[in-house]
Amino acid sequence: MTPSLKQTTLYQRHVAAGAKIVPFAGYAMPVQYPTGALKEYHATRGDGHAGLFDIAHMGQVRVRGADALPFLQRVTTNDVGKLVDGQVQYSALLNESGGFIDDITTYRIAADHYYLCVNAANRDRDVAHLQAEAADFAVEVRDESDATTLLALQGDAAQALLQPLVETRLTTIGYYRFAECGLMGESAIISRTGYTGEDGFELYLPNSHAEQVWDALLKGGATPVGLAARDMLRTEMGYALYGHEISEQVTPVEAKLMWITCMEKGDFIGREAVAARKSEGRRQALIALKLTGRGIPREHYPVLVDGQRSGSVTSGLYSPLAERGVALAYVRPEHANAGALAVEIRGKAIPALRTTTPFVRSRVNPAQKR
Amino acid sequence: MSIPSDLLYTKEHEWVREEGDVATCGISEHAQEALGDIVFVELPEVGAAVEAGKPFAVVESVKAVSDVYAPVSGEVIETNSQLESSPELVNTDCYGEGWIAKIRGSGGRTELLDAAAYATFLEE
Repeated sequence: MTPSLKQTTLYQRHVAAGAKIVPFAGYAMPVQYPTGALKEYHATRGDGHAGLFDIAHMGQVRVRGADALPFLQRVTTNDVGKLVDGQVQYSALLNESGGFIDDITTYRIAADHYYLCVNAANRDRDVAHLQAEAADFAVEVRDESDATTLLALQGDAAQALLQPLVETRLTTIGYYRFAECGLMGESAIISRTGYTGEDGFELYLPNSHAEQVWDALLKGGATPVGLAARDMLRTEMGYALYGHEISEQVTPVEAKLMWITCMEKGDFIGREAVAARKSEGRRQALIALKLTGRGIPREHYPVLVDGQRSGSVTSGLYSPLAERGVALAYVRPEHANAGALAVEIRGKAIPALRTTTPFVRSRVNPAQKR
Repeated sequence: MSIPSDLLYTKEHEWVREEGDVATCGISEHAQEALGDIVFVELPEVGAAVEAGKPFAVVESVKAVSDVYAPVSGEVIETNSQLESSPELVNTDCYGEGWIAKIRGSGGRTELLDAAAYATFLEE
């Protein structure tokens, strides 16, 4: 293990549990626990169960000040003006060319006080970007990542498992809403959000409290889940992952993320480039596919349309629920809806069909997309 | 770690049971454990000619794609088609129901270790 890798507060818990540790976004993270990724997957998807994820590698940025709203309207794509206190919004940071710096969630604590959750791999770049842009605004941008542990508790039993530990009635927290409340005696942010398609919560707490909460949730019956199952769960939902479906090379027009890009809210960084891309047409099309033949479509595998290379897989897996290989892929725009599809696996063209996401049923309110 | 003494092993973690000129092969306990949950096995074609030390099958776990190398040269005479619907047999019974293929040997073989030598190799 590279000694320069950072560790989350719970690292020793994972090692003691016998987890397989891998480097991920600069952190030594558990990829799976001894019973294996499939069991962790089923523990999260199954009735009466919940999975517990240490995702403390992710970053948290507090934005506070008189200009917090105009500042966030300028740096994020979604309409922050629509948020009320206690609401969460999926959004993105773009560069001037319309490419993704990151995808984020924005929490409105008060009209002049917000909290952003960002990807671990992009955190330093995000913070530098936000602080540079903040120079023109009466706003303070503070990186709280190193002091904060983020846990996700996801699955059918998440609410029942968490309720005994918190001082708020969890039924009062709706989908993509949050509360700041006591969690085992310490203040935490608890949001009904996640990356799995299951009902569940994300818990932001001080590092000093992480082990106590982790242990209590495991004692309550949650199953620890590593990165391998987490990636299966998110891919089955068709959720984008930075570095796969989104990057600086694509805009929201390509990534099917115009629903988090509010062109009508006024100017924001990247708006002009996105408007131009919309009018000239997307350069690639993000599609969802399922194999009709046997095989697992993996990242970077070529996608063929009518026998010719059209693009490549960005995320793929064998879906235990769909019982077949499924994938997200970029293809040429003219192939978004037309042409016979196949994925090239070890030199063989395995036929596939276009489909829609999520690939399997989701337990979150389908009317309120992530 | 189970390393049956009646089998031979490759340094790529395949096992082989030689009966006359027929070699039955699969992947070792160490290999299946390192890979994790197997979700797909690509079997060779029956009748295919394989060369010792060259990839002839593929096992895929949740996260990884891994080649299986032929321990001996020869012709594939039978494959374990059960693995097409139940790839997890490689995890649950790697030396039994999780066998991958039978090869009629034509003489060539990679370096094969007996159980004791393979155990030592794993420790190194």
